[in-house]
Amino acid sequence: MTIHLAEGPTGVAMRRSLARWNLEVHGGRAPIRYGLSVVCVAVALGVALASQYYGVRDVELPLFELAIVVTTWYAGVGPSVLAVVLSAACYNYFFSEPLYSFEISNEDLPSFVLFTASAAIVAWFVAVRRRIESDLRHARDNLQVEVEQRKRREDEIRKLNNELAKRARDLETSNNELESFAYSVSHDLRAPLRHVVGYSELLQKQASSSLDEKSRRFMQTILESAKRMGNLIDDLLAFSRIGRAETKNTLVSLDQLVKDIVAEIGQDTKGRDIVWKIDPLPVCYGDRSMLRLVIFNLLSNAVKFTRMRAQAEIEIGCVDGEDEVEVFVRDNGAGFDMQYVDKLFGVFQRLHLPEEFEGTGIGLATVRRIIHRHGGNVRAEGGVDRGAIFYFSLPKAHDAAERTVDML
Amino acid sequence: MSELARILLVEDDPRDVELTMTALGEYNLANEVVVARDGEKALDYLYCRGEFSDRSGDNPAVMLLDLKLPKVDGLQVLQQIRSDERLKLVPVVVLTSSREEKDMVRSYKLGVNAYVVKPVDFHEFVNAIKELGVFWAIINEPPPGSVKKAP
Repeated sequence: MTIHLAEGPTGVAMRRSLARWNLEVHGGRAPIRYGLSVVCVAVALGVALASQYYGVRDVELPLFELAIVVTTWYAGVGPSVLAVVLSAACYNYFFSEPLYSFEISNEDLPSFVLFTASAAIVAWFVAVRRRIESDLRHARDNLQVEVEQRKRREDEIRKLNNELAKRARDLETSNNELESFAYSVSHDLRAPLRHVVGYSELLQKQASSSLDEKSRRFMQTILESAKRMGNLIDDLLAFSRIGRAETKNTLVSLDQLVKDIVAEIGQDTKGRDIVWKIDPLPVCYGDRSMLRLVIFNLLSNAVKFTRMRAQAEIEIGCVDGEDEVEVFVRDNGAGFDMQYVDKLFGVFQRLHLPEEFEGTGIGLATVRRIIHRHGGNVRAEGGVDRGAIFYFSLPKAHDAAERTVDML
Repeated sequence: MSELARILLVEDDPRDVELTMTALGEYNLANEVVVARDGEKALDYLYCRGEFSDRSGDNPAVMLLDLKLPKVDGLQVLQQIRSDERLKLVPVVVLTSSREEKDMVRSYKLGVNAYVVKPVDFHEFVNAIKELGVFWAIINEPPPGSVKKAP
């Protein structure tokens, strides 16, 4: 038996170790338990005899009952029965007439029966009490284990929480760094570029008469490259702004959005034969201006990559799913090789030469970023010279609100 | 440096100064310009102190103000002059490379009269500067206490 004082307040530790001792006797080997029974009765008998010797009479009954109680409490039912039998025998032998014999006189029979009965009842009560106590103790131990487990789990949760908070702080720091990075790109990178363009223009104006054809072409290339870099910077900044901007989510009618954009694009494509096929589209929940950008990018891509067709066919439709809707834009244009499909949505990734189709390669990356922010997905199918289909999915209006909240 | 300037150009980059002056030169506005190379110089000019201590006290008809400047930055200059009774009416045009919404909002909150992002394309840049110069130094009627238009 060890007392673990370190486990808690002394009282608790004491109670616990006593309880353990109890259990040990209870669950211990039979000789110890029955031995306890004999010892208890013997001690009671000794004390009773001594009392009698010193003239104190009639204490044997409570003493034997105490012995039975102790035995029942600490050693269980078997030893308790033994204690009752032994006590009855001792009482009979030492304290009831005729003394020092196991005979019972008729007049002492009632008191002997009374003694035995009361001893049995006490033993029974104690046994019941004991069982309740041990059940309670069991429950308490279980509870204690549970409390400890819960405490451990709480500690774990607290640790994870701290880790999460630290992650959040790190993320915020890197976000701020990114923001100031974007800011300095916007501010500092553009100035020298403006100077390159400006001074090249001035030089061209100043010296164009004395320059030969080749030098003029060099000059032109410098200017075009600088302008292209300006466009790249602007696109990159716009792209990074999408990631940082707050979304203002409302119900957006994709039908209306597509109609507006087709009308807008139609003004720039006069003289081209484009057959638009627009299926009915649902109402979605999202940021109107961002979704507008998605559809604009996809439609203007479709228009751009069908340029070489005598008749361009562009179809916009949707597949209604259970909790999301998938919108697609199909064209019969240049298409792409499916083995490069993974590159399609990357930043500044292009699958065509700049002489074939202009552009910086940011359009589809923007589409993907916006759709991801709305909790949806993008994919594409196509074949070289067989057109392309771009899909994007959006949560349906009814559960979009919850999904967006979950993502926060 | 001209004593009487209708345009105060606050710009730290000498190349931007030259390009701006070239653009203004096309409308014969270049000799109406005083250049301050940082925010402190700009305030010195407006308050007639330091190297500008003996100029006449008229305000420029317009101040073209870059935001990113050494020492005192553009927004600080703006804040300073908007809180000064004598200077608060000076028209200020922010002329910057920054397209950041943050800068734009702060400038407007401080009471800027116009916010112009310097275009990368040189022709657009020249046009923007020319239009700014023509509008603010010639077409616009400046508040009282500014340099008078040449007859």
